[in-house]
Amino acid sequence: MSTDDHGTPSTGSGQAADNAGQSHVAAAHGGHADTHGHAAPAHDVRQQTFLEKLYFPEIVKGLSHTLKHMFNKQFTVDYDGSQRTNPAKNHIPRAGYRGEHYLKKDDEGHVKCVACFMCAAACPAECIHIEGAATPPDWKNRERYPKRFEIDLLRCIYCGYCEEACPVDAIALSSTYNIVSETREAKIYKEEKLIADGEKLGLSLSHHHYRPDGVPGALPASKEHGH
Amino acid sequence: MTPYLLKLIPVLLVFGGLLNVVPLLVFLERKVCAWIQDRVGPNRVGLLGPDSPLEIFGIDSGQRRFLGGFMQPLADAIKLFTKESFVPAGADRILFTAAPFFALMPPLITYAVIPIGPDLLAGVYNIKLQVADLHVGLLFALAVASLSAYGLAFGGWASNNKFALLGGVRAMAQMISYEIGMGIVILSVVMSYNSVSLRDMVYLQAGATALKDPATGALTGMWAGGSNSPLGWGMFHQPLAFVLFTICAFAENNRLPFDLAECEAELVGGYHTEYNSMGFGMFFQGEYIAMLAMGGLIAAMFLGGWHYPGYGVLEAASPFCAAVVGLASFAIKVLAFIFFSMWVRWTLPRFRWDQLMSIGWKGIVPLALANLLFTAFVNLPVQPERKHLGGIVMEQRDERKPG
Repeated sequence: MSTDDHGTPSTGSGQAADNAGQSHVAAAHGGHADTHGHAAPAHDVRQQTFLEKLYFPEIVKGLSHTLKHMFNKQFTVDYDGSQRTNPAKNHIPRAGYRGEHYLKKDDEGHVKCVACFMCAAACPAECIHIEGAATPPDWKNRERYPKRFEIDLLRCIYCGYCEEACPVDAIALSSTYNIVSETREAKIYKEEKLIADGEKLGLSLSHHHYRPDGVPGALPASKEHGH
Repeated sequence: MTPYLLKLIPVLLVFGGLLNVVPLLVFLERKVCAWIQDRVGPNRVGLLGPDSPLEIFGIDSGQRRFLGGFMQPLADAIKLFTKESFVPAGADRILFTAAPFFALMPPLITYAVIPIGPDLLAGVYNIKLQVADLHVGLLFALAVASLSAYGLAFGGWASNNKFALLGGVRAMAQMISYEIGMGIVILSVVMSYNSVSLRDMVYLQAGATALKDPATGALTGMWAGGSNSPLGWGMFHQPLAFVLFTICAFAENNRLPFDLAECEAELVGGYHTEYNSMGFGMFFQGEYIAMLAMGGLIAAMFLGGWHYPGYGVLEAASPFCAAVVGLASFAIKVLAFIFFSMWVRWTLPRFRWDQLMSIGWKGIVPLALANLLFTAFVNLPVQPERKHLGGIVMEQRDERKPG
């Protein structure tokens, strides 16, 4: 027979009146004690002291605990909208936060992407749409580039697989968490916007990149969990 | 005509006050919850500033919020009013529509017998701050308050939903179990006051036992601005009854830790699972007014009603001021009970059903019976003297006319 019922407030003030103790309670709940008995073996349950069985001192303890919390520091970040215009008030997410994407540029100032479609293939939400093309003759370092590179952020699940898949480290997830817009169209990011975002964010927030590659001393290796 | 108009003042005061204070309690509930959980709580929809109701009318009230969150209940009410009132398929349409009224009306009616203040002497008029000064006020309150269980049971039954039905059945069973304990507790209270009138009880707690000095025949006690210490309050004369009644009040109101009738974790929403728009709103209102009613009963029976230290002195100076402050004192006592119940709600987990029943039947009923016996023994020797006390208080009150 389990003493399961003693581990819970069932004794309450009732126990004060008829302090029949364990056998009584166990007998009263004989039926279901058997079904629950295995989940909580008797030797795991600490016998309650008399004061605990009374339950009232415990209530007072709990109430004083919550009373203390009423005067504690509140953890809520007051997100009143001023963060949009005042970066100083911006909440900085923890390292490894996966926000909006951006595209990086190479040393020559062109987009790093080589239009290999690896990100689009890796994307579980199928939100990356790429149209590749041969590079203009003055691009010396590679043959292909994305003529069109769109990310449908309404479909994106911010999993970061695109960043993991990219062989040339061209796409990355920034820590930008403010992802609201007033139209659906605005959430389909074109290549130009992604590059511009990268220029804006690239250096200042680079230490928050989801992936540490190419960013010295950024993240612990434990972030490598994608797949 | 005048007496009727005078009668209207406490009616408007009580029912207008009750219905208007409910949104504030909803706001308070959310704030208390937030404070306990180290959060801020609703802080947007204020009286002034962005998101305030003024914005609806296109009035620009600046960029600073004033009393942020204070108008949140108004926004909630507008939402509830504008939602579609939907009756689920297979529901008993009449009962489904009627159930919220059954839940809302009884606690409102209960307040009719709760004395909220002393006689307000304004010029030649004497306004009794109580809607109905019944001689059996407490019995009336008990009888009416338990009617609200019908609302919950009807709502659960008519919804054609097993969760709702379970909630309704639980509400009924819980109400029956705790009504018995509560009745016995009240019996001992009645025994020690020797009166069933709530107004008598309030007067007695202010030391009205010593109404007439036997030697001189002069009025003593609170009437003469005498002792009016809180030590005379019922909570010190009947401490066990006070504690037991408070527990029963929680159970009667379906408040945590006794909210098994709603029980989000198991029963979705319990009896109001299928309710929406103002049907739900009325259940909600009913719950808060029931809390106010229980707070009012506790204030009248155990916390000295409208009395406060220094009442006698102030009354000697200005009865009107004393009455107004007394009204505030009563409100503070009721609000203190409500704050306490919110505090408990966000502290304690819910009881299991068998725990609830065993506390009710094996804890409260025997303790209440023991308290009853004890009260009977203590009161036995003083019985003859106190036999007509309630009547005396009544007479004294009625004699006290302005002029």
